[in-house]
Amino acid sequence: MNQFDCTDNSCMKEAGIEGFSEKKSEGSNFEFPEETSYWIFQKHKGFQGLFNRIGVFLFILFVLMALFPSVFAPYAPEERFIPYEAPSEEHLLGTNDIGNDILSELAFGARISMTVGFMAALISTLIGTALGLCAGYFRGALDELLMGFTDVVLVIPKIPLIIVMGAFLRPSIWILISILGLLSWESTARVTRSKTLQLRGAGYVKSAQCMGFSSYHIMKSDIFPNIIHILFPKFMLATASAMISEASLSFLGLGDLSMKSWGMMLSFAFSQGGFIRDMWWWYMPPGICITLCVLSIALIGFGLEAKEGEHFKEGANTL
Amino acid sequence: MFSISLRADSISKIYGAGLLSEGRCVFQNVSFEIRPGETFGLTGPSGEGKSTLGRVIAGIEKPTYGTVYYEDSSLSEMKKTKYMAFRRKVQIMFQDPTGAFNPRKRIGSSVFDVLKLLKIPNIEHASKTKEMLITIGLSEEVLSRYPSQLSGGQLQRLAIGRILLLEPEYIILDEPTSALDVSVQAQILHMLKNVQTEKNIGYILISHDQAVIRFMSDTCGLLESGQLRVIE
Repeated sequence: MNQFDCTDNSCMKEAGIEGFSEKKSEGSNFEFPEETSYWIFQKHKGFQGLFNRIGVFLFILFVLMALFPSVFAPYAPEERFIPYEAPSEEHLLGTNDIGNDILSELAFGARISMTVGFMAALISTLIGTALGLCAGYFRGALDELLMGFTDVVLVIPKIPLIIVMGAFLRPSIWILISILGLLSWESTARVTRSKTLQLRGAGYVKSAQCMGFSSYHIMKSDIFPNIIHILFPKFMLATASAMISEASLSFLGLGDLSMKSWGMMLSFAFSQGGFIRDMWWWYMPPGICITLCVLSIALIGFGLEAKEGEHFKEGANTL
Repeated sequence: MFSISLRADSISKIYGAGLLSEGRCVFQNVSFEIRPGETFGLTGPSGEGKSTLGRVIAGIEKPTYGTVYYEDSSLSEMKKTKYMAFRRKVQIMFQDPTGAFNPRKRIGSSVFDVLKLLKIPNIEHASKTKEMLITIGLSEEVLSRYPSQLSGGQLQRLAIGRILLLEPEYIILDEPTSALDVSVQAQILHMLKNVQTEKNIGYILISHDQAVIRFMSDTCGLLESGQLRVIE
């Protein structure tokens, strides 16, 4: 008898031969496997879980405010009433120097602030991902070139550059979005590159290369789905960072005057005497909104990063 | 005369060679040839470069010196169309079966990708896949699973099956059974033998296991101290 002959059921079962497979024995109880979940509530307990829940709750609130501002705003933002009015039943957060209702401005300002944050983060994440993937996958001279360029971009001071550009160009949120997006992709590119370098040595990537799949197909189909769990928290944190930058620039008077964001509200409160007159209802609400919105996005980002850490520890990232 | 052999001609691989360093020579002046239907067993101590040699033959890595010939054409001088044909006809199967499939894709998706690569019409995907599953002895149920939900034996069968869809002439088997249980090893080796007989495929079998090499190979090579000694 040949030494490799194996006819008993146990070895057939081990080999997973049809009819002996342990999976087959499940019969009609077969269920599709669970997709990898990014839902941050699953494993976190205690303080971390509580903070994540608060973050998600606040974030949903702000997104709703940005999407449906008229639900939260009692008046149109351009509607005018008596100026410098303190909070009352008619105007819950009072009015500003030209008689606009602060609560209504706040609700409509959410859309501008969040648009700047998300659009800038989207641009930076897309650029960072594309460059990181190319640098990590192709390596060699292209890697050196792209990472050198990344280092150069890393040292460009963003806020002073925007101030200089603001002097030459008419301030608009689209310029702000473009500059913030085009100058803040370096950390995403670096993280994507390092993960791509790790994945390009994986068996399934080598197999795909050997089978003749194009580099584009391998990056899109085999590498990108395996780094998306890293990119999502980076995107959230980039959004928070862009919102802070937008608020800072608007406060400095470099924002788009036609689009009143939370930062622009603060700027007007400062320049039109809100601070001197101690009209807290004018400058406090946009400040609090910026803080809470950035905090909620950061909490979600940290939660996702922590989840990625757990995922890694559990070995779910096995190559 | 035109021949469809796969031939390594005096190939050497040196890592880290540069202006200041001579680098580390993994192997040098390695020459051998295999033809469809034959098995060349490659054995030797760990760290002697067996897997590197396999990757060089498969065209994944370039040799530092020497040339690999496929159908009498040098890999380094091949035109794109010819290289694409080579890419389909010479395949490699790695040691770790769990790493052979994208962990975030269902097996079915990984298999269909190969059929799409071959530009096989969607209508024929099911029949082609079924045919492949019959060859490797697995049920259709595995297609809906993720790699982490299958055993090493099942994954190794699927890795072979996916390669067979490309109708290769040569497969480099890099320790195909070392990560498997002995009984599963036997199943896989028998399957490989059957597939070889049926489809006239040439194998380069890399293994530490002398018994496996003896069982599978027509010709055997011992890679030791950077030199290949061919034993008929």
